[in-house]
Amino acid sequence: MESSIRSGSPQPPLFKAIASSTRQIYQLLKCISFTAKVHVQITQDGIRFAADHSRVMQGVAFLDKELFTTYTLNLAENEDGALPQFQVNLAAFLEALQIFGASDLAAKQAKAEAEPYRSNLRNYRPDAFSHQTLGVPGTCCLLYEEDGSPLSIIMEETGVKTRCNMVTYTPEQPDDIPFARDDLAFKIIMHSKWLLDSLSELAPMSPTKMTISASPDAPFLALSSSGALGSASVDFTSGRDLLDTFTIETKWSQSFKFDLVKSATEAMRVASKVSFRGDGQGVLSLQFMVEVEGGTTSFLDFRFVPYIAQDDDDDDDDDEMDSDESRGEFS
Amino acid sequence: MVLLRFTLSEEGVNALRDALACLNKFSDEVSLEAKRDKLVFTALNSSKSAYAAFSFATNRFFSKYQYEGVAQNREKFFCKLYNRALLSLFRARTGDSLHDPEKGGSVIERCDVAIEDEAGRKSRFMVKIACRNGMTTKYRLPFEVSPPVHAKFDKDEAIHSWCISSKTLRQLMDHFGPGIEYLDIHSDEDATVNLTCFTEKVASGDEVLKKPLHTSIAVEKDEFDSFDVSEDKLHIVVSVKDFRAITNHAVFLGSDVSAQYSIPSRPMQIRYDGDGVKCEFLLMTVGERGAPGQRTRNNRTGERPAPRAQQLESAASRATSKAPTPAPRPTPATRREPMPSLRPIAHRQSQRPPPATLDDDSLFVQQDDDYQWEPVKMNEGEDEEEEGYARLEWDASDRPNPSAIKMSSVIAYQATQRNGPGPVHNEEQDQLMSYLDPTQRLSQARQFGLFYD
Repeated sequence: MESSIRSGSPQPPLFKAIASSTRQIYQLLKCISFTAKVHVQITQDGIRFAADHSRVMQGVAFLDKELFTTYTLNLAENEDGALPQFQVNLAAFLEALQIFGASDLAAKQAKAEAEPYRSNLRNYRPDAFSHQTLGVPGTCCLLYEEDGSPLSIIMEETGVKTRCNMVTYTPEQPDDIPFARDDLAFKIIMHSKWLLDSLSELAPMSPTKMTISASPDAPFLALSSSGALGSASVDFTSGRDLLDTFTIETKWSQSFKFDLVKSATEAMRVASKVSFRGDGQGVLSLQFMVEVEGGTTSFLDFRFVPYIAQDDDDDDDDDEMDSDESRGEFS
Repeated sequence: MVLLRFTLSEEGVNALRDALACLNKFSDEVSLEAKRDKLVFTALNSSKSAYAAFSFATNRFFSKYQYEGVAQNREKFFCKLYNRALLSLFRARTGDSLHDPEKGGSVIERCDVAIEDEAGRKSRFMVKIACRNGMTTKYRLPFEVSPPVHAKFDKDEAIHSWCISSKTLRQLMDHFGPGIEYLDIHSDEDATVNLTCFTEKVASGDEVLKKPLHTSIAVEKDEFDSFDVSEDKLHIVVSVKDFRAITNHAVFLGSDVSAQYSIPSRPMQIRYDGDGVKCEFLLMTVGERGAPGQRTRNNRTGERPAPRAQQLESAASRATSKAPTPAPRPTPATRREPMPSLRPIAHRQSQRPPPATLDDDSLFVQQDDDYQWEPVKMNEGEDEEEEGYARLEWDASDRPNPSAIKMSSVIAYQATQRNGPGPVHNEEQDQLMSYLDPTQRLSQARQFGLFYD
């Protein structure tokens, strides 16, 4: 093995995983790139990346070991048998994954089109001889030698090999945001596109706060917000069939910071379905099912802590009343 | 109380969005004016050199239109809205071809708009957009009730005109790169029309193309549906940004664009019609006449201060000669009457209302009884046509009109008094002031330093 040759040490590394493509890994991790550092925990079933924003929002991406062709975790080397965990800089990690240019073609294209007179070379177009087009296999190897050592990403493509060593930080071990699965107020499963559409309807009013309400009768699910430019609300009164599953215990209404929920939009874009749940304490859980290439499904888990209820009373009750009125006006 | 409600189909939303996007190129704010038979959106840019108006015929454009009116003003309702908010809520929504292939292209089922304005309640512009998939979005936007400012155009004076298909015009405009400012349109003796684009900006830094850039296209007159410019060597120059906004929108409607103008420094009118919508633009022009050897921009910059000086002079001479001034008569009765047309009146006399410089505040007359102002009327018969409306006029630089009543004339008068020989005679000043009906509250005038305690 290359690592043993390199280090000259006979013992195998603590963790090693090889993937034939970085695309899925990149796609999943990009969804939680709302913080600089992520907490990484390596388990026998896969790698768990958790991002935490001020303890009010949490995003978890789980890379199942099925995404990798080789996945070895040598826990025997570890004295107490604890799972290896550390923190890495996610932006740098993502950068390393796309070092061979599996980057955002869309971003490149947008940049080229913004300045059409800068150059008439359309270099964002897929190149007939690019490795992606030709299907030349590249490999990505994640290597964690021992506790406290850097995390290495070794990328190999057509004879070119790059090794990125990422500094690992001591884990902070943040607790997960508690979500009471046995005290669910409601559970909705729907296409994540509908959730994305709803948020993009609210976004133009540049709101700071959004209110999510679920009720057993119409409008079933309503998202509302009010910002500097005006107020907006989206409801599913006549869109009941858009909600694949709809189970509800009681009427539930909570406010969240709009920008936080918005930072989950990348996940809404790549996912096919979302499980939309709220518990008795008001914590919102969004679980996204992402169907990656090759038929495997991965999950992204987001949790949001609501604003405390007293805060709502001034603005949001007003908003709710407003939207009720406007319903009256239109009907 | 709901003053106005109307319903738009998806095509209607698209057409409205195109119009708003075009208006957004002129100003951040859009003025809405609703009447029984039409709904008009207008915008005037911040330098007051370009004006755009879209008039939607209510019976053709809307699937439903109901105008209630307010107690104070039965005939029309007006307000100002922030255009970016409107644009974002009428934006194009992407269809969901994956789940609903047969309706992939169509997203919006219907769009209801209602305007509510009542004392003691929130005044709101409410939009309800019902999507085909069942999602319903409601927006409530605040608005400001303030009268729109309309620009006026004298058709009789605009002797030059041409008409061209919007597609051809757009293709011509595509030849001009970014970063240009002005478009010069002039015809030669032979059968060509020259379109020249240039800029006066000299860019530094990492710009790829060093400016000024000068691009000229010669177009056969046959490309135009009609081209009727009698004056040779007439260079008429308009802002490219505004012109491009117009051509880009005209292509959506696919109709012919017609332009009318007279001489440089007088407005150019561009208009075209679509199905149920009339579009009209007024652009300020600069340029030169007759002198082929001279470069346009050299002349242009030198030309600017002239009208101002001329105007000051005329005002001052009038003040000293104490010529009887046709005083504006406040006629509040006519104010309540309908304004039938937003369009410039077709048969106007060639006499024009007072000349005004572009930066002159006295142009803008608020529709407010406090001010006791009535725009100077040349023709009695037209009073009904333009009652109570704030109008914007461009400077008739070469023909000063002695009937101008403006702050600038008072300023000029005072300037001559102060600079002239001898002390100021209060009596004389009082006498002059008595000719002028009050146009403003004294307290407001004081802040300009015109009166001394």
